[in-house]
Amino acid sequence: MQRLLMTRRGALGMAAGAAAAVSSAPARAQAALEPRLVIITSFSRDVTTPFVQAFEQRHPGTKVEVQNRSTTAAVAFVRETRSSPPDLFWASAPDAFEVMKQGNLLARPQIDTAGIPATIGAQPTHDAEGRYFGFAVSGYGMMYNTRYLRANRLPVPKEWADLKNPAYQGHVGISSPSRSGTTHLTIETILQGEGWEPGWAQLLEIAGNFAQVSDRSFGVPDAVNSGQYGIGIVIDFFGFSAKASGFPVEFVYPTVTTLVPANIAMIEGSKSPNAARAFIQFLLSPAGQEVLLDPKVMRLPVRPETYAKAPAGFPNPFRDQSLGARVKFDNGVSEARYELLNSLFDRLITFRLRELTEAWKAVHAAEAALARSNSAQGRELLAQARARLTRVPVTEAQAADPAIAGAFQPARPDRPAGPRQAQLEEEWDRAAVAAYAEARQLAERAQRAS
Amino acid sequence: MSTTALPAATGRPWRARLRFDASPVQVAAALLVLAFLLAFLVVPVGRVFLAAFTDGEGRLTLVHFGDFFRTSLFRESFLNSLYVAGMSVAVASVLAVPLAVIVSRFRFPGAALVSTLGVLPLVMPPFVGAVAMQLVFGRNGSLNLLLMDWFGVRLELMDGLNGVVFVQALHYFPFILMNLSASLSNIDTAMEEAGQNLGARGFTLMRTIVLPLALPGYLAGASLVFVKVFDDLATPLLLNVTNMLAPQAYLRVTSVGLGDPMGYVIGVILVVVSILAMGGAALLLRGRDYSMQQRGGGGLGRREMSAGQRALAWAFVVPTLLLVLAPHIGIALLSLATVWSFSPLPDGYTLAHFSTVLRETPQFLTNTLLYCGLAGLIDVVLGVTIAWLVLRTRLPGRRVLDMLAMAALAVPGLVLGIGILRSYFGVQLPDGTALATSWIMLTIVYAVRRLPYALRAATAALQQVHRSLEEAAENMGAGKVTTLTHIVIPLMAGGLAAAFVTSFATAAVELSATLVLATRDVDAPLSYGIYVFMQSPAGRGAGAALGVIAVLTVAVCTFAANRLAERERRRRTRQQGTAP
Amino acid sequence: MSEPAGVAIEHVSFGYGATRVLDGVSLEIRKGEFFAFLGPSGSGKTTLLRLVAGFGTPDSGRILIGGRDATRQPPWARNVGLVFQNYALWPHMTVAENVAFGLQRRRVPRAERDRRVRAALDLVGLAHLMDRRPAQLSGGQQQRVAIARTLAIEPEVLLLDEPLSNLDAGLRAGVRAELVELQRRLGLTTILVTHDQEEANAAADRMAVLNDGKVLQVGRPAELYDRPASRFVAGFLGTANLIEGRVDGGAFQAGGARLPLPPGAASGPAVLALRPQALRLLREGDATLPARVLRAEFLGGHVRYILEAGEALTLVAEEPHLRGLDPLPPGAPVGVAIDASQATLLRA
Repeated sequence: MQRLLMTRRGALGMAAGAAAAVSSAPARAQAALEPRLVIITSFSRDVTTPFVQAFEQRHPGTKVEVQNRSTTAAVAFVRETRSSPPDLFWASAPDAFEVMKQGNLLARPQIDTAGIPATIGAQPTHDAEGRYFGFAVSGYGMMYNTRYLRANRLPVPKEWADLKNPAYQGHVGISSPSRSGTTHLTIETILQGEGWEPGWAQLLEIAGNFAQVSDRSFGVPDAVNSGQYGIGIVIDFFGFSAKASGFPVEFVYPTVTTLVPANIAMIEGSKSPNAARAFIQFLLSPAGQEVLLDPKVMRLPVRPETYAKAPAGFPNPFRDQSLGARVKFDNGVSEARYELLNSLFDRLITFRLRELTEAWKAVHAAEAALARSNSAQGRELLAQARARLTRVPVTEAQAADPAIAGAFQPARPDRPAGPRQAQLEEEWDRAAVAAYAEARQLAERAQRAS
Repeated sequence: MSTTALPAATGRPWRARLRFDASPVQVAAALLVLAFLLAFLVVPVGRVFLAAFTDGEGRLTLVHFGDFFRTSLFRESFLNSLYVAGMSVAVASVLAVPLAVIVSRFRFPGAALVSTLGVLPLVMPPFVGAVAMQLVFGRNGSLNLLLMDWFGVRLELMDGLNGVVFVQALHYFPFILMNLSASLSNIDTAMEEAGQNLGARGFTLMRTIVLPLALPGYLAGASLVFVKVFDDLATPLLLNVTNMLAPQAYLRVTSVGLGDPMGYVIGVILVVVSILAMGGAALLLRGRDYSMQQRGGGGLGRREMSAGQRALAWAFVVPTLLLVLAPHIGIALLSLATVWSFSPLPDGYTLAHFSTVLRETPQFLTNTLLYCGLAGLIDVVLGVTIAWLVLRTRLPGRRVLDMLAMAALAVPGLVLGIGILRSYFGVQLPDGTALATSWIMLTIVYAVRRLPYALRAATAALQQVHRSLEEAAENMGAGKVTTLTHIVIPLMAGGLAAAFVTSFATAAVELSATLVLATRDVDAPLSYGIYVFMQSPAGRGAGAALGVIAVLTVAVCTFAANRLAERERRRRTRQQGTAP
Repeated sequence: MSEPAGVAIEHVSFGYGATRVLDGVSLEIRKGEFFAFLGPSGSGKTTLLRLVAGFGTPDSGRILIGGRDATRQPPWARNVGLVFQNYALWPHMTVAENVAFGLQRRRVPRAERDRRVRAALDLVGLAHLMDRRPAQLSGGQQQRVAIARTLAIEPEVLLLDEPLSNLDAGLRAGVRAELVELQRRLGLTTILVTHDQEEANAAADRMAVLNDGKVLQVGRPAELYDRPASRFVAGFLGTANLIEGRVDGGAFQAGGARLPLPPGAASGPAVLALRPQALRLLREGDATLPARVLRAEFLGGHVRYILEAGEALTLVAEEPHLRGLDPLPPGAPVGVAIDASQATLLRA
């Protein structure tokens, strides 16, 4: 603890010094870029390479190094390397930035954001304190393989609820929110848009159709691209860039989505503050924004004027007001239950996918049987089965309760994970296994009763 | 009675027995090697064990293990890992045993084909193979699309744990094939003939003579497969199977952080199971290694096959070959494909992926050449030094070095990686980067992981150099160092070159430790590059192109190693033909 | 003594682990002498030779080469030439490179080195095979290269470790003679290790018989043959009748027979050593010792008879074979005449 405070104080001191230097000589800062800039990012090489190349062309004296990690791993990494951190953190999920801001891991560089609207959809574009900056917006939705849907005679989904259709059994894929910051946001958006318990009920029912819960967000577009399954729950640019690369895929935004800025932030204690600042500034400049329209990148710019250069059919949130307007995303709520949500999803869905899908399969079979006969007993049993399959063992209040959610703060070298987390996880796991087994039995009885 | 019989009790004086028989150079060499092994193997693994067995205040505790076994997910992962490793051995045996019997018991015209079969899977890193097999055998892979079209059936080969078993068995069966056919062909004809002479034939002969004599080879191969599969991280990860031990450890360490004790507990369990499996095989084999007792003879009598037998053999060999080739073909197609989506074959072909990876990231290839080349060199130097200390000096405790170096076999790359992270995260290089995630550490980890292979090769090579050749040099006035450089090393050259190439080639496709340690594109090796390139919504073509480059690199190296070993063997037999 | 010994071994003991291989060995090999260590395998003779070469340090005792204490000198500083049993030619070097190796270590200038390599190979008659590799030579040629390699460094002492054991039996006598001739010509102090008494007898000026890590007897070959100091030496050097019995009243009593004695024998239990050729067979006439033929072995030049005398005394006798003289059949009675001057009396 003592050591932690020391480093924190040291880092703050440095940041203050750096800020003073910038305000006194803004012109010189541009000239004196450090030779090395380290970016830690969850973006794939396809996204980072065009930006890095464009930036290096502009600033030949600076060599950019990209470290590729999933969002959650990147957060853990920055936390572990507090003594000599990377310079920039560049990722989609604003909640991850929020977590890092709370952890005093983000610096406050002076960035000129003129020409960029303060809000897009229902969301502020940048952090109010100026610790992270939106450079693009993303919505979440469904990516599907057109050949696959045609071959399997499946309808095109439009809304999240469509994915509950038993026809999609085994055709839907997602990545685990604990491994993918973007999926985490999608799940959080659904929960905020539909409400905690209805949201979980919907998720658990959709999960009944999951073919796979990948531990990498890229596993999902890969699988949809190659046709391992037909529909993936992904961030929009996965769909757009796959389509731009020639794959027979399409992407749709459901109404319950949110336009969330993808962000960049300078990390506290950066050894190359000038270069870091220059990179952020470049990203937000008109030239940097145009890179977003590269076929392999395909993300929605934050500058309205850039859309003029976009290909036909490219969504424009500044014109299409319905896009992402329905959900008012609450970062505070999201942050409070960040780790809990990840863990809960894994216990209920990721690690118990086989049990869950088997149970839903039984439910769907029973429903099909009941549609032909008309057995009251069968319907009653089926309702019970559904109730067991769609119940989340944690209430919204509990999920927000620091006494419970607090147990799920990530462990640190100086503070090992509490036993409370393990205990809760074990309880959920046991509850899930029991509920899915019961539901399956109930559904089978319902089918026999029909 | 007479002066001849010296009473046996007249032993050597104790003082002479305890004399310290070592020169300063030997002591210095041993200490350097020891320091290396301590710093990069013992300490990191020790830190993993320590973290697993201590609580937050540093007190010894078993509470984490209690937590592990109380958590049903971990219990299940543990059982899954055991299941996958065991089933992989079983499936690999189904492939390997018939092939071994065909080539070593019969005159089979396709024998060369079978020996190719034995090498092909090894040049394909299993995680690259996994991606390719997903495309060929996946639920909507080429095979299933065709089956669905023609027969309306689908084979769920790649689903869940069984997918891992399938990929691993196909990758690792050569270990069983090679070990088993080696021990089958070492069985002296005379033994079989003696059995026949005493009235055994057919199945009885097989059961009573051949199988017991072949058992050591089979067990050696099978235990190796078990351990490799049990420890593997990358394959389940790429197949999206997470409820196994190694993926759980990786996920815990990368998402929860280095402070999470569960990662370490899993690490300890991986190490312990590896040791148990290898130790168990060694125990079963104790006193059963007959290879030394069988001298002369031209191997097991190979007999002609009847037409029916030959047809049966071909019917087994050809489909197996196709199965083994499938990932190679798959990855080659993927690397050349424009778009490959829900169809048996790609829509079109292009070389763009190769030009992308060669233009944008030549450093992956050059880094691999640099790191793995250095690691191979370190291994050869360490291997020769340890072999020399063990075989040629009377340095006290020299066997400890050998044992330590060999212990690296039982340490999964993941565990070593985690241990290195924990031990060296705080250590900074002059440019401010952490030592643990620098390329230097990656090179060292490769070297430690491959040291057992190089050490075995160096030991074998040194054993081949007759002691008197060195003594002759010393007698002619050459000191120890001159003797080493002018006589010993030139004579070991062939064996050492093979050791270098083996270390190099296997390090080039090491992913478990790489995933934990490599963080920066600029100094990441090929294996990391493949992993990163595979993560793109715009298709896996570039990753596959890198994969093809890796496969070719490894294939060329393996071929070179085999050639070197072969030439060395020929040179030796020629020598033995004329000189005593 | 004005001139120091070629090699002096003083009270040397040596062992591995708990076993003692050499036990207080002392020997003096004169300058220019051809000396042999003779003993069965395991007697310690090769170990002793290796200690002289510097491969190992005695647990106690000293080794002096040309008067200087070499006990703790490493092998490469001793300037003694060792010819290995398996020749130990380096397979990756040519014949010339093998021979030049020791000269390079001694930093002999190139021209001088070439001259000496050629001279050494000329000496063994192999100069024409200079550029061959060892694997391309026959066993005898390899051995001569090994000797040339050793001679090229002009060693103070030449050590030969069973140099003939890897040669065909037909080659041995010739090579042995060449070796001896070479040694005489160079006047080189030489130690030969062998388990073959014929080899030692033929080559050595003097020899030491070793057994179980101890020197049993040192002397000229004929001296040792004629006057063995122990049963072991008597038995190891050629065939001998070693008869256990008692000296009693001026005669030797054994197995119910009375045998003649050399003069001056004290009474008590003893062993009488008799060479087979000291027993003369008398086909008729008055027998000193009546005996019966048990078995006859025809060996070409002579016939060996296994005889039984007295109640339980087995004797071996040899008699030159001449044409027309058929070996005696088993059971034939013979008389045995024993030349008392040829008998050696050993302590029991």
